Amino acid sequence: MPPIRDKFTIHSKAVVCQDVELKGDITIGSGTIVHPKATIFAIAGPIIIGSGCIIEESAILVNRRKEVMRIGDDNLFEIGCRIESPSVGNSNTISTRARVHHTVRISSYCVVGAGVLLVPTEDQVLEDYTVVYGPAAEQRTWSGRGKVQEADLRRKHAEYLREMLPKFNRLRRGDGT
Amino acid sequence: MEPPIYYSKAEFIETDTGNKVSRRATIAGPQNIILGGKTIISSGAIIRGDLRRTGPGHAVVISLGRYCLVGEGCVMSLSVTLSDRPPYKTYRGNFNYYPMKIGDHVHIGANSVVEAAQIGNHVEIGKNCVIGKFTIIKDCARIADNTIIPPNTVVPALSLFSGSPGGFCRFVEDLPESTQEMVEAQTKQYYTRFQPLDR
Repeated sequence: MPPIRDKFTIHSKAVVCQDVELKGDITIGSGTIVHPKATIFAIAGPIIIGSGCIIEESAILVNRRKEVMRIGDDNLFEIGCRIESPSVGNSNTISTRARVHHTVRISSYCVVGAGVLLVPTEDQVLEDYTVVYGPAAEQRTWSGRGKVQEADLRRKHAEYLREMLPKFNRLRRGDGT
Repeated sequence: MEPPIYYSKAEFIETDTGNKVSRRATIAGPQNIILGGKTIISSGAIIRGDLRRTGPGHAVVISLGRYCLVGEGCVMSLSVTLSDRPPYKTYRGNFNYYPMKIGDHVHIGANSVVEAAQIGNHVEIGKNCVIGKFTIIKDCARIADNTIIPPNTVVPALSLFSGSPGGFCRFVEDLPESTQEMVEAQTKQYYTRFQPLDR
């Protein structure tokens, strides 16, 4: 295997803390926030993260496949979660300590509950509005009620962090600047 | 008396009030964190004091009482990540993080994530737990290992909780009334056992 070549493209409006482990070809979109101690590993293919995502501390994003791992906009990856899915849509919430295997593709508006292990052996697509919960990774569909409020909270959360994080943490810039 | 737990003197910083903080712990915004004294913060712990309420002046984000322990049993291990961060919500249209208050004699196990609003005195939280946002844990409660407590839960005094949402029952049993004395003795003993090793 060839050595991993590092190439970080970080949008000027993204907030990426210094204490973040990045490896491989990574693109981070505008307004995305990466908390300290998060890890983003592009082992085989590149990782492209959209705008307005929040990646909290000790969250791990890994791409083991050759293809591009695409993460949409306004996703929230909470503390200590581990995501290897080849594609993630928009406005998803991956809760604390959840684990999603590389066989799962996540659409939009999905919620993976706290501590859920989502590791199917065959390929699976989480449809829009799917909620995964409990120790057996049961699934239900969310009616979509309170979606606007949820999106509003996410937007304000990101806005707050964009203002507060640079006051207490050193930031990291991309290669271009 | 159990044997002492040794730590390397170079790794920990000891303050005047007897707090022992690992240099390998990640502490953001330390000016917003209050440690009560004789509190131990182990290596690999993450404490977020930077997520504070907006507004002028100082704001206490996280306050820990006396004889607390963050990240028990992970003194030797580096892979441990434990997180202590205040909870957030919007109130009257404004987004804010809210302060977190932890009482005296509280032990938090390795790899646990705590986003509670309030934790009382003499509380024991096991390993690998997730304490949801705005949870209130009353005095002398105990949370078993690997427990996931959903957001906005209130854990009553002298109760043992275990399991995860969607799983089996969460309240398990009442704890004996002597819990307070037992936990107090235990936490004090842990602090005395936690000794530096010169080398």
